Amino acid sequence: MTKDEVFNKIVDILKRYSKVEIKLENISMDTSILDDLKINSARLVDIVLDFEDIFDIEVADEDADRVATVGDGVNLILAKI
Amino acid sequence: MDLKLREKFALKIQYLAGWVTFPIWGTFIISFMRFIRRYKIQHLREIRKQFKQLKKSVDGPIIICPNHLTKIDSVILNWSLASMFSYMRSFKIFSWNLPERANFFQNYVLRILCYLGSCVPIDRGGNRNAVKKSLDKVIHLLRKGHTITVFPEGRRSRTGRIDLDNFTYGVGSLVSKVKDCNVLCVYLRGHNQEEYSGIPSRGARFYLQMELFKPQSEFSGLRATRDVAGQIIDKLVLMEQSYFAAVGQ
Repeated sequence: MTKDEVFNKIVDILKRYSKVEIKLENISMDTSILDDLKINSARLVDIVLDFEDIFDIEVADEDADRVATVGDGVNLILAKI
Repeated sequence: MDLKLREKFALKIQYLAGWVTFPIWGTFIISFMRFIRRYKIQHLREIRKQFKQLKKSVDGPIIICPNHLTKIDSVILNWSLASMFSYMRSFKIFSWNLPERANFFQNYVLRILCYLGSCVPIDRGGNRNAVKKSLDKVIHLLRKGHTITVFPEGRRSRTGRIDLDNFTYGVGSLVSKVKDCNVLCVYLRGHNQEEYSGIPSRGARFYLQMELFKPQSEFSGLRATRDVAGQIIDKLVLMEQSYFAAVGQ
C-alpha cells in the first residue's frame, strides 16, 4: 500500500469524526487531529481503533499516544503493514 | 509510569497539608453549603453508611465516577459520602479530583482550596505530556490506595442527561492500569437541577444513588479502555433512568 493510499484512507476515517468541513478539504500530513480537526482524545482512540480494523494492524497504547497529526497516523500505519 | 520521586513527595506533602488543615477548610466549606446555600442531601446518614460498607467490602482502590452537572459536584460528593470526623480519621477516603486548570486556578483562594482539597489540575485538550503527567499522578495515588473522582462524561453534560456522545475514555485507561481497581458509579442530582450550571440553586435537595462494581473486559489495550468507559457510562444511564422513574418523569 502506498503512502497516498494510506493517507486517503485516513482522511476518509477522519471525515467520520470531524465536523470541521473547511479543514478536511485542506488536510495535509501536518494537520493536527486534535487542534485543527477539533477531535477530542476519546474520538482519537476510536480513530486509532479504526486504523487497526481497516489496516489489520495492532497499535500499542504508547504508539497511539504519539499520534498527533495525520502524518503521525500515516507513518504509524506504514510501519505496521 | 515515570513519576519522579520529587513529584511523589509533592503529592504526599499535598495530602498531609490537606489532612492537617481539613478541620479549618472542611468546616468552612460544609458551613457554606449547609447554612449559606442551604443544601440538603436526602438520606445522608444511609448514604454514608452505605459508602462505609462498600469501602470495607473491597480490597483495591476506588474510582468514583459520578454524572456531572455542576462545578461543585465533587465537593457535594465528598460532603455526602463521609462525615468530617471520618475524613479526619482517615483522609485517604477523601477523594482526589482532576479539575480543569482553567476553571479553578484563576485566583489564589481557589488555588489554595484546590491544593488542600486534594486536586490534581489537568489541562483537558492541552499538551499531551502534561495531561499524561496528571494521569500518572492519579495512577500513583490509586496504587497507594487513595480514592479518586473522575467524571466519565469529561465535562458538565450540556443536555442535562448523561452525555452519550462525548464521554471520554480516560477512566477506562485508569482502570486497566491499576490492579484490582473498583468503580463506584454515583448518580447525583439536585431536585430542581434541569440542566448543567455553575453551582446548584440555593436550597437544593440532592438525590444520590451509588453502585460499586469491578469492570471486566474481554479486550486489551485501547479496546479495553473504550469498553470499560462504556460499561461505566451504561451504568450511569441506568441509574439516571431509575432516578427519573422515581421522580415520575
